[in-house]
Amino acid sequence: MSIRSSLAVLALIGLPLLACGGGAKEEAVPPPGPAATAAAPAASGAGGAATGTASISGKISFEGTAPAPEKIKTSADPKCQAMHPQGLERQTVDASGGGLKDVLVYVKSGVSGSYPAPTEPVLLDQKGCMYHPHIITVQVGQPLKIRNSDDTLHNIHPHPTVNQEFNVGQPRQGMESTKTFDKPEVPIPVGCDVHPWMRSYIAVLNHPFFAVTKEDGTYEIKGLPPGEYEIEAWHEKLKNQTQKVTVKDGDKAKADFTYKS
Amino acid sequence: MSGRSGAVSTSTTLRDAPRFDRGRHRFAVATASATLVLIFVGGLVTSTGSGLSVPDWPLSYGMLMPPMVGGVFYEHGHRMAASVVGFLTLVLAVWTARSESRPGVRRLAWAALAAVVAQGVLGGLTVIFLLPTPVSVAHACLAQTFFCIVIALAYSTSREWLAAPSGAADVRGLRGAALAAAVIVYLQLLIGAVMRHIGAGLAIPDFPLAFGRLLPPVSSVPVLVHFAHRVGGLVVLVAVARLFLRARRAGDPRFARLASALLGLVLFQIALGAATVLTTKAVTPTTLHVATGAAILGGCWLAALRSFRLLRPRPSTAVVAAPVARPVTQS
Repeated sequence: MSIRSSLAVLALIGLPLLACGGGAKEEAVPPPGPAATAAAPAASGAGGAATGTASISGKISFEGTAPAPEKIKTSADPKCQAMHPQGLERQTVDASGGGLKDVLVYVKSGVSGSYPAPTEPVLLDQKGCMYHPHIITVQVGQPLKIRNSDDTLHNIHPHPTVNQEFNVGQPRQGMESTKTFDKPEVPIPVGCDVHPWMRSYIAVLNHPFFAVTKEDGTYEIKGLPPGEYEIEAWHEKLKNQTQKVTVKDGDKAKADFTYKS
Repeated sequence: MSGRSGAVSTSTTLRDAPRFDRGRHRFAVATASATLVLIFVGGLVTSTGSGLSVPDWPLSYGMLMPPMVGGVFYEHGHRMAASVVGFLTLVLAVWTARSESRPGVRRLAWAALAAVVAQGVLGGLTVIFLLPTPVSVAHACLAQTFFCIVIALAYSTSREWLAAPSGAADVRGLRGAALAAAVIVYLQLLIGAVMRHIGAGLAIPDFPLAFGRLLPPVSSVPVLVHFAHRVGGLVVLVAVARLFLRARRAGDPRFARLASALLGLVLFQIALGAATVLTTKAVTPTTLHVATGAAILGGCWLAALRSFRLLRPRPSTAVVAAPVARPVTQS
């Protein structure tokens, strides 16, 4: 075989490699400068164009014994390990603050009309080799800004069933990507295939009537128009619960939920 | 398959008869061995759930060498091992094209190169399209096909192949038994790949029974595929045991030793399959199960190649079989 033929073979191999690069629709961008960071994204997407005057609030309680926290081995990435010298634990049923934390409470049915998505992005941060926040809420079409605050690489890989799946790499600290979802879906698990312990959930809704419980288990959904609503409480480990709630203008209705171990 | 040093003439008197090329034969054997290692490394990617830990291709996070942390260690490690095998195959193809007199072997070498390129592209597609099952299964099966092509290259350049066949008749039916075993093992690997990539590895959670019964309730496709793989394992055992018995009766150690090793591997493979279920897909037994399956396929394929090279077809019943397959004394 001549040298020319050998080069032709090499070109044959190299061509498909060059032709098939990349798959993400939206590329990760380098970290923004100080001016760009002035308008920080919101930590939650609640509140977009909610024009009513009623609200529903309550507390999610947990009775019984919560499972022991799960110990996480981070040795696969020395940088993650260095961020958690005392070790890392994950408590999926967290009732240490007097109520159940990280429960998504949202209006499952009863909403009429359309609610345009806010243009303000919601932030999903990767920090300390964990996701912050653990439960992310966005409206359909609302930008979700994903940031890597760690000095190690991450990939962001949601597993939706009705929205389009994507897998984006962020190899450098400070990188950001922006994504949107075009269909309501609760929940969409999000994971990092590099660090399998990293997990969060995205709730995509076509209205702004949702909230995530705080450490004390309380929540509040504001701006509801008068109507009869089905309220659902969703937790990643516990079963869903629903309640019917009817509100009039200016009402401050209560809807508490109780989970048992 | 290997021979002694030095170029040895074959018994054929043709002027352009192929000569034993020790270097190229050993290189082909090394490429086949590296391929088996690559299959193990590729199995690690799926076993550890690292298939999408590098979201881009052909680069990794836009780099040639990303930090080897977490799942990146397995996925990018697989890419590096695949690059080595791809380079070995390229060298083997060019070497064969330059020094091999048999057109069929030259075509086989180019086929190996085409297969390894296609395999790389399939691997890239699995990443870009987020592990679609048909592409992942095709990637798994092409790996086995490529392995068989390289084994054929290695055997076709061996001293055994180049020596004149003894002309012994296949009175024990070794050709059919070996070929049947190779085909059955390949089909079993196909079912295994489907089971693995649709996530049905634990669809039947107990072993040796299935949901406490001999026959599981066929309640879903994953259960059906998983059970088909278990039944396939028994069929493989029968096929390889049949080859083993025929090889022993033939009295040719070249077949008897290989068939004994294959039977041992199949029993080990069944134990690994059980361990995979009982440990809920622990990484080590699961990945060894993948690699051992490839080794069994390679062994059956070698037995088939050897039987078709060394033995004449079984004589018809009207003819009394004269020479029985016997070991060939190697000079």
